[in-house]
Amino acid sequence: MNFFLTLTKNGNVSFSPFWEKENLDPSIISYLSAPLPLALIQVVEERLDRQVPTCFWRRGSKGKDIKLEILKILKAFGGDLLCFTWQEPSLVSSIRQIGSEQNHGNEQEDEVRKAFNQLVLARQLSIGDLHGLARELRVKEEEIIKLAHFNVEQGSGQWIPAVKPLGSGWQCQRCGEKNVDEWPSLYGMAATCRSCESIGSSTSLNVLYRDQRSLLDGPSEVLFQPHWVLTEAQRQASEQVLEFLQDPSVETALLWAACGAGKTEVCFPPAAWALKQGKSVLFAAPRQDVISDIVPRLKRDFPDYPFQVLTGTSLVKYKVGGMVLATTHQVLRFWRAFDVIFMDEMDAFPYHGSRALEWGLQHALRQDGKMLYLSATPSRDGLKAVQLGKMKLIRLPARHHRNPLPVPSWERSRHSLEPKGCKDVAVAQIGTLRAQGPVLIFVPKISWIVPWIKCFRRRFPDWSIDGSYSADQGRSTKIEQLRQGKFDLFVSTTILERGITLPGIQVVVLAADHPVFDERALVQMAGRVGRTRENPAGKVVFMAENMTAAIQTAVQWIEEQNSLALELGLIEA
Amino acid sequence: MKGFWKEVTKLTHALWCADEHACVFCGDKHGPICLTCTTDYLHPDMGRCLGCGKFILSEKTHCFDCAAGMGPKQLDQVTAWGHYTGGLREFIQSIKFKAHPRRLIEIARPFSDWAISQLPVVDGVVAVPMHATRLAERGFNQAEVIASALHWELGLQIIPGVERIESTISQVPLSRQERLHNLKGAFAVRQPEYLKGRSVWLVDDVTTTGATLEAVAEVLRESGVQAIYGLCLAAGMDKENLAGAKPQA
Repeated sequence: MNFFLTLTKNGNVSFSPFWEKENLDPSIISYLSAPLPLALIQVVEERLDRQVPTCFWRRGSKGKDIKLEILKILKAFGGDLLCFTWQEPSLVSSIRQIGSEQNHGNEQEDEVRKAFNQLVLARQLSIGDLHGLARELRVKEEEIIKLAHFNVEQGSGQWIPAVKPLGSGWQCQRCGEKNVDEWPSLYGMAATCRSCESIGSSTSLNVLYRDQRSLLDGPSEVLFQPHWVLTEAQRQASEQVLEFLQDPSVETALLWAACGAGKTEVCFPPAAWALKQGKSVLFAAPRQDVISDIVPRLKRDFPDYPFQVLTGTSLVKYKVGGMVLATTHQVLRFWRAFDVIFMDEMDAFPYHGSRALEWGLQHALRQDGKMLYLSATPSRDGLKAVQLGKMKLIRLPARHHRNPLPVPSWERSRHSLEPKGCKDVAVAQIGTLRAQGPVLIFVPKISWIVPWIKCFRRRFPDWSIDGSYSADQGRSTKIEQLRQGKFDLFVSTTILERGITLPGIQVVVLAADHPVFDERALVQMAGRVGRTRENPAGKVVFMAENMTAAIQTAVQWIEEQNSLALELGLIEA
Repeated sequence: MKGFWKEVTKLTHALWCADEHACVFCGDKHGPICLTCTTDYLHPDMGRCLGCGKFILSEKTHCFDCAAGMGPKQLDQVTAWGHYTGGLREFIQSIKFKAHPRRLIEIARPFSDWAISQLPVVDGVVAVPMHATRLAERGFNQAEVIASALHWELGLQIIPGVERIESTISQVPLSRQERLHNLKGAFAVRQPEYLKGRSVWLVDDVTTTGATLEAVAEVLRESGVQAIYGLCLAAGMDKENLAGAKPQA
């Protein structure tokens, strides 16, 4: 969207998406005939500011000079392609509806304005997003732009170029990315950001609307009715989280939990406290399934509280509420919005390793806001920050059933575990494991899945055996059947390493020394075992030719959690 | 130090393998356009309707509509590089709607090579112009970027002078008749003497019925242009083929 450059009697430069007198500030006396990208208008403003000291003595004729100066600056950008004239704002003779109809129209307008202002609180929206909002509210796109611009004029919102010149380069204002695609445009060089393109394009020729109001306007009553009792381990962690939220001296913390210890619930009481204080809360996670897993639990425990659930597939993109659940991509649509952020699975794809998403999360936090990362397998950066004392560490080392985490055992294999030989020893071992429960077998490559399934089927013709991987069409049905315990053996890649509870499951990792399995993946895979009260134990076997550093670290992490839990009296000896 | 060597290897690899690109359309096989995408979108085995550029069986010369006399009349020939579907369609849409005009560089060479093998050599290229309002919003005219790619690769002169004086509504939802009517008086040439007696390639990104090309060709003819060849990145498939020879992508 482009803006008209406007000029007041005093020579002040400003901009507006409209040129009609009724939509402009009355002090504006002229505007440039063709609209321009905001980034270019800002360049003009900057250059004029720089020139002011040298021409202060010509103040009398400032109006005329400034007009010429502006045209000169623009000429440097677009050459002869851009030609402008100065115009005076005039009234557009639109015949307004009269009498009762007008009142009716106003009422409707008021409703739209109210809805708009509730839905855009603390948001950062592209023009495409605003057009989407217009469709949701069933009004013309122009009306929405008018409402947004009204807020900008009132000082409660801001227009900013979506990609902004920064030094000799550019920076995307939505995701912070500096590595953008540059191209020659009608207005000189322009840039397009690729890293946040999946939620709509972001270019230097377009703008973002940043709402500068807060999601909540003050302390309020919050009905919090937990449907569970925290275990001792959870209670201790939850208290520490609350202390962290109340302590002004630390800004970030890491909740390092054992797999299946119930780290999400630990955050509910502190979240309730924050909301009562009028602090807005965000639950963020890299993947959609983590979000959809939390939603029903939050709905149950906060029965009346309005919250926004935002993922790539949500049909309604704009909702009201001081608590937001969103994937890390959707968080890019907020700006300095949250007092408290709970970030689940900081070490998971696509958040982990994405500069853009990390930047987005940091900038969704309000000044003096609190960030709590939750993980069973914290990233290296996270652990380093803890070591350096930049991040507070909170531990949750035990599961609710007070049993230790199953420690993986390393079964040394003499041969490579490639499926072509169909190793008898390995197969026999996996067969014996079945006596204790269904077996989940992790392999490092998709190409291993089918041959291993065939091999197992040959050996155990009566068993129900299958497998899946990321691009598998029947993935969701198979996983549902797996949850219901319909398979004896199930072969999978790391797609099942996180976020799934399978009663009675035993885990085998084939070729655990393969480089795709880092310590985090190994801990997560081991963490599938012994999650339920009915089956609190089980076996985890890492089959590998060699012992690797990753295997060592994974075993060490799990043993450490157990000894800490024992020390704190959170598990039975 | 380890990091340093990693960078060095990466850089050497990048220099050594400078010619190895991923496929522009599907991204994962050998580029610039992999074999599968060539067969799926560029259909080297098929013909193009001489009248409107649509994909037809190689033994034919005109599509169903043009054979019935309903196609463009002002153009000597129209041709299109690929079928507007799948990866090629995504590529063109990413250029226009996600503001990636620079991506056209990736196909400049194969597209130009193909164009010069299909059309006679001319005095220059004319890009289908865009109305000032649309141009101001988008910041570029994709047809001009394509023309500049042809200029860069083949050394053909870019001939300016045609303007779009009416901003028309999008052609997408309109029928053949409505499209022609929609474009009436949309284009103009201010200095016809500059165009008189010349031969040109008229370049656009996508053609469906050829209505836009026809409307521009009309003002070019009035200005005395001698030969006009329409050239587009992509076109549709003739209805007859969709049912028979080719499965719909």
